[in-house]
Amino acid sequence: MPEVFIDNERYEFEGDHMALQFILDQGMEVPFFCYHPSMSIPANCRQCMVKAGQYIKDDETGEYELDENGERKIRWFPKMQTSCALKLQDGMVIQTQETSEEAERAQKDTLELLLINHPLDCPICDQAGECPLQIQTYKYGPEGSRFEVKKVHKPKRVELGPRVTLDAERCINCTRCVRFTEEISETNQLTIVSRGDKNYPMTAPNQEFDDPYSMNTVDICPVGALTSTDFRFKARVWEMNQTPSIDITNGKGCNIDLWTRDNQVLRITPRQNKAVNDYWMPDEGRSAYELFNENRASRPSIKLDGSNQSNTSWNNAIETFAETIEAHSGDDVLVIGSPHASVEENYALNKFFNLLGASNARFTPHIIDGYGDGFLITDDQAPNTNGCRLLNLNETDHKDLATAISKAKVCIILSDNLVGRKVVAASDLGNTYTISFATNMTETAKASDLVIPITCVAEHAASYVNIDGRIQRSFPAKETKYTNRRLNLEMSEGRLDRYGTNFDNWVSEEHKVDCLPLWDFLNKLAERLGLDYHVNHSRTILAEISSAIPSFENVTFEKMDEQQGIQLNLDNQKIKQK
Amino acid sequence: MAEQELHFTDEELNEIEKIKAKFPTAKAATLRVLWVAQKKYGHVEPEVQALVAKTLDLPESHVHGVASFYTQYYKEEMGKFVLDVCTCLSCQLCGGYDVLHQIEDRLGIKAGETTDDGLFSVQEVECLGACGYAPMVQITNGVYANNLTEEKVDKLLENLKNGKMPEFESMVMRQNEKRIKAATE
Amino acid sequence: MVEDWKSYEPLLIPDIPNLHKIDVYEDNGGYEAFRTVLGDQDKWSRKNVTEEVKAANIRGRGGAGFNCGLKWSFMPEPDDRPRYLACNGDESEPGTFKDRNIFEFNPHLFIEGALIAAYAMSIDTIYVYVRGEYIDWVNKFEEAVEEAYEKGYIGNNILDSDFSVDLHTTYGAGAYICGEETGMLESLEGKRGYPRVKPPFPAQKGLWGNPTTINNIETLANVPLVINNGAEWYQSIGVEGHTGPVLYGISGHVNKPGVYEYPAGMPVMDLINDVAGGIRGGKKLKALIPGGASTPILRADQLEGVSMDSNSLREAGSMMGTAGMVVMDEDTDMVDLLWRITHFFHHESCGQCTPCRDGTGWLEKVMVKIKNGNGEIKDLDLLLDMTTMMEGRTICALADAAAWPVRHTITRFRDEFEARCKKSVHAVA
Ligand SMILES: Cc1cc2nc3c(=O)[nH]c(=O)nc-3n(C[C@H](O)[C@H](O)[C@H](O)COP(=O)(O)O)c2cc1C
Ligand code: SF4
Ligand code: SF4
Ligand code: FES
Ligand code: FES
Repeated sequence: MPEVFIDNERYEFEGDHMALQFILDQGMEVPFFCYHPSMSIPANCRQCMVKAGQYIKDDETGEYELDENGERKIRWFPKMQTSCALKLQDGMVIQTQETSEEAERAQKDTLELLLINHPLDCPICDQAGECPLQIQTYKYGPEGSRFEVKKVHKPKRVELGPRVTLDAERCINCTRCVRFTEEISETNQLTIVSRGDKNYPMTAPNQEFDDPYSMNTVDICPVGALTSTDFRFKARVWEMNQTPSIDITNGKGCNIDLWTRDNQVLRITPRQNKAVNDYWMPDEGRSAYELFNENRASRPSIKLDGSNQSNTSWNNAIETFAETIEAHSGDDVLVIGSPHASVEENYALNKFFNLLGASNARFTPHIIDGYGDGFLITDDQAPNTNGCRLLNLNETDHKDLATAISKAKVCIILSDNLVGRKVVAASDLGNTYTISFATNMTETAKASDLVIPITCVAEHAASYVNIDGRIQRSFPAKETKYTNRRLNLEMSEGRLDRYGTNFDNWVSEEHKVDCLPLWDFLNKLAERLGLDYHVNHSRTILAEISSAIPSFENVTFEKMDEQQGIQLNLDNQKIKQK
Repeated sequence: MAEQELHFTDEELNEIEKIKAKFPTAKAATLRVLWVAQKKYGHVEPEVQALVAKTLDLPESHVHGVASFYTQYYKEEMGKFVLDVCTCLSCQLCGGYDVLHQIEDRLGIKAGETTDDGLFSVQEVECLGACGYAPMVQITNGVYANNLTEEKVDKLLENLKNGKMPEFESMVMRQNEKRIKAATE
Repeated sequence: MVEDWKSYEPLLIPDIPNLHKIDVYEDNGGYEAFRTVLGDQDKWSRKNVTEEVKAANIRGRGGAGFNCGLKWSFMPEPDDRPRYLACNGDESEPGTFKDRNIFEFNPHLFIEGALIAAYAMSIDTIYVYVRGEYIDWVNKFEEAVEEAYEKGYIGNNILDSDFSVDLHTTYGAGAYICGEETGMLESLEGKRGYPRVKPPFPAQKGLWGNPTTINNIETLANVPLVINNGAEWYQSIGVEGHTGPVLYGISGHVNKPGVYEYPAGMPVMDLINDVAGGIRGGKKLKALIPGGASTPILRADQLEGVSMDSNSLREAGSMMGTAGMVVMDEDTDMVDLLWRITHFFHHESCGQCTPCRDGTGWLEKVMVKIKNGNGEIKDLDLLLDMTTMMEGRTICALADAAAWPVRHTITRFRDEFEARCKKSVHAVA
């Protein structure tokens, strides 16, 4: 097998590899900026320099030539090589900054040059704390600068589009953003303009950077040149917790991170998953954080007289719910599951009411034809349509659902804004007693007689099956009134959480929503109804699903975590894809 | 200038088709079509760039990036005569800066500016490949005026004011005596 | 060193009036080489043409001095992909103004050379890329191309052979970097002239990803001479290691500046004193930049016995470059001169890669400081260190070209630079 020698260690390799990626794959490091594994390699930052050469092989014998000390002879390449663009060859010798002073010096020099025209305004820069330029400078940069002349000035605070703001002085011209619009989103909205040290990225004059994927450029910009207009100046990265999750705004299920501080989600960024979204996500999915913070259903509410809802206690809510159920036969109860809710919620709800004699839950997919782009934006507006299908809920179109509602005496809706998305009109719900399990106070929740606030994807661990049949899961990222970061081992704890107390002025109790996971509420309801139903956790529900439904065989949270989701077999379910 | 006013004539479109035929891609024609547009409008301001992009069916950002990279494209309206004064190496040695300062002085503007009457713009430029005939000036991306002296510069300005462009000057190798003779006869 | 140069008769631009007209060119033996090759394709197989040109060792006249035939031999075997010859007429290196003479006075010699090159490398399309400022020369050249098309030297089944090739002329719009071969390819593709990372080399992946060879205009103009007279004859012109006729562009403080054609290996002092008529105003020679702005400057005392060929110039501490010789008299201010050179490279850096984009600007800004009398001795050492930070670390050789003049002008005229500096406030007593 071909071999390479990196920092005096021997490695075998097969196929085509560039040195930088190979080195990173071995868990070692060479600093870099312009390289991105999913885009072309321009080798323009010149940061990833290494010293490289080739052991000399005798053409005839194929043996390595030795010097007088018996060491293999090396023919060094005449110049330093950029490792990102250096293709591995059999017998190649590479010395990184770890073993070569020349490589170390070259990297230091490049950093000094990158910084001479950089404004060095880290104290007011959003990128600080997660800035490759800052990090590499600490690790590999010069002690100080010898630059004592004037810096180049360029445009600052330019709103390139509705969501991205440019500070051209911070730009290091790595062209990642431009390549993104050329190679990934293919809108070609950005270009580098001007020449030499006046270069910076821009749109065409009078054009907006409204690429539906524009904010990915903020993520991949290795400095604070491109920032999120929305997130600018909101928080320092080191104050936030980062929790893995799934984008619930469409059917793709982009893997994401939720960034929280004081139990508010402040931003959403993509998390790499080669099988789903690679490094990217649509801008739309990023604004979903508002759903998690604002207009939440908090404390149960009830319609007493007329159409006015008012908050009520959990006890009263449970009592009202139970009395309603007791007053009706199972036939009169219509259960509506939701492609917007998780696999576990849909299953638990359906099972619970099956036990009470209600027939199988229905659900209505949330599809907008032609909305998708064949990339990460889908016609499907919900994260779990296929989950509902695999659970064998009854897929029902708008008309049939309206009919079913008109026939039912009690209608139970699992977080789905059926009114808002015009499946039914609020008036359709007028003649049945409507109970909504809701994360947000949507038109549907507002039109309901009883609203039970439940946790959203940012507050619970639960799974979702995307349009391609991949099941993936969320983690709790923000606390509710009834959860506690320190006790819940699944929750991440940031610096502020660990060292703060309730008396600190940056801790606000109101950010904790007064809601329960659906299954917890059902436990309480079961207790009141004397029903033999109890689950501890979404994990227990999934275990039950996995043993009960063949499509979910062997599916566990652990396996999803290990494999970044599990591909389920959609074929035997005859599921249509959108 | 409103966008809908801008368009190429059939004749220009013909020329553009000829340019496109030289290359396997429409993109390759970008530089040349910017030239066609600049010849027509005298500059490649944003609307003109947009016209070029539309004509070639290319992203406007691409055309913008190209237009801003190359110095001969006028990104804004310039004077009727643009005087590109070479001050680079050989011209610097032979008085290129004197020529520049003389022109600035006579026209009352600095390099990078345009006279109020819109007649002249002056720019300092890099080597134009006429180093043996320094100092020299190129006029509006066209003809070269070589071996300038103070008198020649004044005469040049005077002529331009009267709408008279200098003629192309053949710089025959001194070794080509017959050719020089033929040219002067 | 060439000694009998006084009897030399120009070959690239012979003294024949109206030679740019195809009839005159033909009357004087023009297109004979191309006819010979196409007429006897057994003797002149594609491989044999390449071998002959390689044996002649035409050193590339674009600046790097690479053996032309050897470069041709790097082209892969023909497959179903198109193949290109890109002729470099960007001519933007300060001090260089030779290729335009070929366009104006002997365009068919170059066309003929390009056609032979295309034949030898099985190329189907030739592009001639000329700097945009040379629009007048482009127009003249295009007339010649049209004539050659009309006479059937370019086009399909040329001279009834099975060889077909097209030749397209196009031009840039003001960017020195488009003379760098891969910057030129990008520009030909209609883009910003950003040089490409190599490998892959143009012979593998050139224009639109296809095999491409790049040659300078003057380089190709030498090819018909080799075919007509043989590699051995060609090798007899000039000196060992650097042969053939060279268009010397002489500018600066000489009495008779201009382009002159003489063999490679001309004695430098003969070129300055005899050919170019000596220093203006009877002044003394101070220094010479031998081959365009990027080649290291030589002091007058370094020029003794030096000739214009790669070996001799390398020994003297410089390079042949484009043979664009810039001559400086005793009054020349080296600080001003170097500042202007740094300004040029700062202005022309494409800005793609860090050491060049930021380094060229830094060089110029420190030079401005020194020029204005605000420099300190440590700034000179900083400049020298910066040349190390830039050299050999970039995508293309522009950064090297910017670094060399700084390094050599400062080291070779250190006294002058120090004299312009303030006494350092940090100086240790
Ligand atoms: C910054 C830079 C500018 C260059 N400019 C030119 C040029 O204007 N004309 C030219 O023929 N070669 C130029 N070259 C050299 C070309 O890259 C290339 O080596 C040459 O065109 C090859 O042709 P040759 O082998 O026939 O000389 C330049 C190189 C660099 C690095
Ligand atoms: S804005 Fe950021 S991503 Fe774009 S070129 Fe500059 S540094 Fe790179
Ligand atoms: S060395 Fe300079 S000119 Fe060449 S690619 Fe890099 S920035 Fe551009
Ligand atoms: S990462 Fe290799 S040059 Fe930028
Ligand atoms: S230096 Fe002015 S034309 Fe070359």
